[in-house]
Amino acid sequence: ENKAEESAHHSEDEQEESKKKMGKKTLADVIQEMKTFLWNSETRECMGRTVKSWGLILFFYLIFYMFLAGMFSFCMYGMLLTLRPYTPTYRDRVSPPGVMIRPYLHGFTIAFNVSEPSTWKPYVNSMHHFLQAYNDNIQEEKNIECPAGRYFVQDGKESEEKKACQFKRSQLENCSGIEDPTFGYSTGQPCILLKMNRIIGYRPGSGIPVSVNCAIQKGNESALRSVDFYPGNGTFDLMFYPYYGKLTHINYTSPLVAMHFTDVKKNDIVPIQCRLKGEGIVNDASNDRFLGRITFTLSIGM
Amino acid sequence: MGKKGSDIYSVEIHGIEDLEKTDKGDEEEKYKDLKGNKKKSKKTDDLKKELDLDDHKLSKNELEEKYTTSITKGLTSARAAEILARDGPNALTPPKSTPEIIKFLKQMVGGFSLLLWVGAVLCWIAFGIQAAQGVPSAFDNLYLGVVLALVVILTGIFAYYQEAKSTNIMASFSKMIPQQALIIRDGEKKEVSAEQLVVGDVVEIKGGDRIPADIRLIFAQGCKVDNSSLTGESEAQSRSCDFTHENPLETKNIAFYSTTCLEGTATGIVINTGDRTIIGRIASLASGVGNEKTPIAIEIEHFVHIVAGVAVSIGVLFFIIAVSMKYKVLDSIIFLIGIIVANVPEGLLATVTVSLSLTAKRMAKKNCLVKNLEAVETLGSTSIICSDKTGTLTQNRMTVAHLWFDNQIYSADTSEEQTTQPFDQSSQSWAALSKIVTLCNRAEFKPGQENIPIMKRVVVGDASETALLKFAEVILGDVMGIRKRNRKLAEIPFNSTNKFQLSIHETEDPNDKRFLLVMKGAPERILERCSTIMINGEEQPLDGERAEAFQTAYMELGGLGERVLGFCHLYLPEDEFPDTYPFDTDSMNFPTSNLCFVGLLSLIDPPRSTVPDAVSKCRSAGIKVIMVTGDHPITAKAIAKSVGIISANSETVEDIAKRLNIPVEQVNKEDARAAVINGMELKDMTQEQLDEILINHSEIVFARTSPQQKLIIVEGCQRQDAVVAVTGDGVNDSPALKKADIGIAMGIAGSDAAKNAADMILLDDNFASIVTGVEEGRLIFDNLKKTIAYTLTKNIAELCPFLIYIIASIPLPIGTITILFIDLGTDIIPSVALAYEKAESDIMNRRPRHKKRDRLVNQQLAVYSYLQIGILQSIGAFLAYFTVYAEQGWWPYTLLGLRVNWEDDYNNDIEDSYGQEWTRYQREYLQWSGYTAFFVSITIQQVADLIIRKTRRNSIFQQGLLRNKVIWLGIFSQIAIALILCYGLGSVTALNFTPLRVQYWFVAMPYAILIWVYDEIRKLFIRQYPGSWWDKNMYY
Repeated sequence: ENKAEESAHHSEDEQEESKKKMGKKTLADVIQEMKTFLWNSETRECMGRTVKSWGLILFFYLIFYMFLAGMFSFCMYGMLLTLRPYTPTYRDRVSPPGVMIRPYLHGFTIAFNVSEPSTWKPYVNSMHHFLQAYNDNIQEEKNIECPAGRYFVQDGKESEEKKACQFKRSQLENCSGIEDPTFGYSTGQPCILLKMNRIIGYRPGSGIPVSVNCAIQKGNESALRSVDFYPGNGTFDLMFYPYYGKLTHINYTSPLVAMHFTDVKKNDIVPIQCRLKGEGIVNDASNDRFLGRITFTLSIGM
Repeated sequence: MGKKGSDIYSVEIHGIEDLEKTDKGDEEEKYKDLKGNKKKSKKTDDLKKELDLDDHKLSKNELEEKYTTSITKGLTSARAAEILARDGPNALTPPKSTPEIIKFLKQMVGGFSLLLWVGAVLCWIAFGIQAAQGVPSAFDNLYLGVVLALVVILTGIFAYYQEAKSTNIMASFSKMIPQQALIIRDGEKKEVSAEQLVVGDVVEIKGGDRIPADIRLIFAQGCKVDNSSLTGESEAQSRSCDFTHENPLETKNIAFYSTTCLEGTATGIVINTGDRTIIGRIASLASGVGNEKTPIAIEIEHFVHIVAGVAVSIGVLFFIIAVSMKYKVLDSIIFLIGIIVANVPEGLLATVTVSLSLTAKRMAKKNCLVKNLEAVETLGSTSIICSDKTGTLTQNRMTVAHLWFDNQIYSADTSEEQTTQPFDQSSQSWAALSKIVTLCNRAEFKPGQENIPIMKRVVVGDASETALLKFAEVILGDVMGIRKRNRKLAEIPFNSTNKFQLSIHETEDPNDKRFLLVMKGAPERILERCSTIMINGEEQPLDGERAEAFQTAYMELGGLGERVLGFCHLYLPEDEFPDTYPFDTDSMNFPTSNLCFVGLLSLIDPPRSTVPDAVSKCRSAGIKVIMVTGDHPITAKAIAKSVGIISANSETVEDIAKRLNIPVEQVNKEDARAAVINGMELKDMTQEQLDEILINHSEIVFARTSPQQKLIIVEGCQRQDAVVAVTGDGVNDSPALKKADIGIAMGIAGSDAAKNAADMILLDDNFASIVTGVEEGRLIFDNLKKTIAYTLTKNIAELCPFLIYIIASIPLPIGTITILFIDLGTDIIPSVALAYEKAESDIMNRRPRHKKRDRLVNQQLAVYSYLQIGILQSIGAFLAYFTVYAEQGWWPYTLLGLRVNWEDDYNNDIEDSYGQEWTRYQREYLQWSGYTAFFVSITIQQVADLIIRKTRRNSIFQQGLLRNKVIWLGIFSQIAIALILCYGLGSVTALNFTPLRVQYWFVAMPYAILIWVYDEIRKLFIRQYPGSWWDKNMYY
């Protein structure tokens, strides 16, 4: 009898003990533990290290990272030394050229109501802003007149400043914004400028100027009845190429082709695709929709 | 009463807890613990509870009545079928295994999977939002989410498959040949499968059979059973049909399921089948003892916590930074995904599994079959081995060790492969002794074994007689022939009352008409019956001096822990015992005194020849070997001494007392290195006393222990924070095997229950195999450290791009998919290859790792990998990134802050440093080239990382650069995969790889070399200044 009782007591003790072991730490315990971890006054340790130990380890990492930074800077410096300032080492990824349009208001949908100037005003402002650099007086002052119809090749030292050919705003005629400061937006016949991306040394068309044409991308062909192109018949003259890079070709202005959509179906969404045509131009790459072509929609309300 | 009391108490505790605790989760866990506790204590109570069985008290008629059976005719088939339908087949229900689907799901959410699922879900959320907003690149997130989910599912399937494979090895192993039983049904003898047995069946058993169920014997002849699998006693026990003890476990008329009948025949009625048998009950109890988490599982969990902690905290930190830097929340979520993916070593857990299973395979070749992959490492961290004696340390067969005749002790060869005996056999006394040994012996070889080495032949008979038979066969040859020529006329088998065995033979000498009476038995009893003693073939009177000599020899052999047998003979005078004399063993009408004493033979179960070496290896490896045996302390101590568990110069408290001639109490306990603890002492010990013994003595032998005490010993060792390995073979060992950190069952002698409870199975039952297992286990721990260090390093190189992308707004240097290609592509084979690395130094010469201090992933490892090599790698990779961009026209400083424009899908004329204008896709393609360059650079630097991880302390040149061929396979695979991804799949846009210019492969090369050189310097300082600040901070 007695023995049984004794053993019962024993097992009670055991249970209590094992419970203590198994029981989770209370929150106070955890906080206390954290405190001791952060600053252990007994061993004078902060986060498991003494001040001296922290000093040493931080000093080590200081030296280590300084060395790494030095080595990295040295390597970067060496790498940069191999670069030429006027032409990049490789130009294979940037050509053939891409195409962009103006006005550009973060998107390729040009939608406005002729009767509501506030809807087209931003486009007009964007055009004016963009064409600022093409003002005739600026062009005449900074750039020279070049013989049309052939590449304007400037030999000589690479570091020499290159001359740029004039591209006057007035050449854009109806789309110059001089006679009609609204670029036709107020009449529902908007002008859109098309620009070919700059590539150093690139000679588009191999002697024959690259031209632009536009068509309805998908759907009713009759939605787009007429487009006027300026200058010329919508070609990029050869004299503007090649481009020598922004360091030497300081006043270079990209040639433009203005497209005057004089008769587009109104009150409808008209998807238009404009393509460059010329030798060496790629305009049907499946994964790059801006290579040699551009797609935008016109939606003109009356 | 005791049980009730504790129950009430625990409820009370719970009540108090309820009041004190408000934290619900905490409380729930406590409740569970408490319940678990209760269950456990209840189970052990059950284990100790007596069986309510009264069949042993019933008479035959009562039995027949109880089980509606007939002793002569058995059950009818119809009735048997009825009972079978009621009780189910006579087989143990296998331990409940977790359902496969649960196992699978566990793999799906375990480890890093949860983190990756979070990543995948975030991806889909991002996709949902972006798709609703009409962002063209929304689908990228959908795909990434799918890829992440796939990664989780595939690695989950892989881990599940690996686990299933190792379980299958076990399944095939435990499958046994169906046992047959000879029963009487419908009045006819029939052979049926043991599974078909039902309560009430009448079963006949004979020597060599396994008892097919718990049976109450109704007839027995010379029946002996081996209950060792149940009680741990290796001594054979006789069985009869008499009720000899109240306790059903002690009474002689019950034979238990799964024990073996050694000799004789018996008939009995089945009283329990299947799980209701004693064995069944113990087995089901064992499955209730909780499985402890393996050390490596704890380590991996710890490591997963570290990595997940780093991932989540960096992720959240940069999420906050991104939001406060005015990034859109959606963008910040996408950054978060990138950070998670970069931080998580997706392939690592799979690699660990592969490494472990490779080691498991290697160990299986060395006779250690591992059931649970993680147990591979547990063995390596073992600090205490509690080993059985019989069969593990010893050969598990009695062998003649010493002889005493002509006043001289001769040693016999006890090795496993004996073919001759070297001692002097010229004496006439030996001739007489050998005759007694040969004739006074009932053991026989099973027929048809002529071509098998003597030591391996199967013998019918008990252990001592077998030993004597084999001994005689080795020396004399053809024992059976000798017996035939010396025909046996009468015989009194050994019994415990007279303690001798006697037989009377004709002699083979045709001229000698005398009969020869031979006798063997307990030496003192034999000596009592002798008046003369044979010295050099001459009979001499047995005077005081000769008796003294006998006593000395007897004590000496007994002191060696050997079982000593005395042998004597008498030639019966021809005139008194003529040819036709009717010998009657009942009336003993022949002399049994005044015999001639011939000699002594002592028997022992000798240690396996490989064990002493293995024990000394354990010792130098810092592993304490504790012997736990049911045997007599003297025998246990003798074996312990002979295998080195107690080393030659250590003494027990008793030894010191004896040497100094002082009482045991006065001996300073700390002087005694060794201790031999009797089970009876252990019974009265408190926990503290046991702890004290375990701490103070380095060489411990527990003798005369019961199976329950084994459990107590294991628990005691575990209280010392030791990782305990336990060997066992019997059913009764299974709770201890379960409780141990690693339970080792014997493959040959082990019972199924023991094998089920164990984590590992020793196929050759040899202790030495454990040592090779320990070595493999330690090696894999070291190598896993290397693997993890290798894998963690590149995570920083994957993470930094994201951080800099967020902070400095540069075009993204490496994509999420590309990261996955490193983690699950190029890095997999190299990290497995590290598992093949040879040990740096003699790993068996250092102490076992401390469970709580020597972590798999320690601070030094994480810091060195993350903050040193990882940063180095990032810098190398960034150099390649900047080079690619700069050579295409984007100088480094123009990249800063470029991100928003760069990623603008509508902006197709962004100017680079030269004034060239780029479309979105052109930029994106360049970005992929950047990814590829970054990827290639990481790969190249990982080659260097792989090489430096071969060693942690030694120089690579000490270790040998070419010794591990698999490493080179790893390096080649790494480069080959990178080449294929770069040039082969460079045109598949979804993978974001581009064919890279050849020179970019070499940009990070200086950094790869720097990694190697720096690590060599680190190791040099560690070797040069052990214990220094550098060693403490830089050695992982």
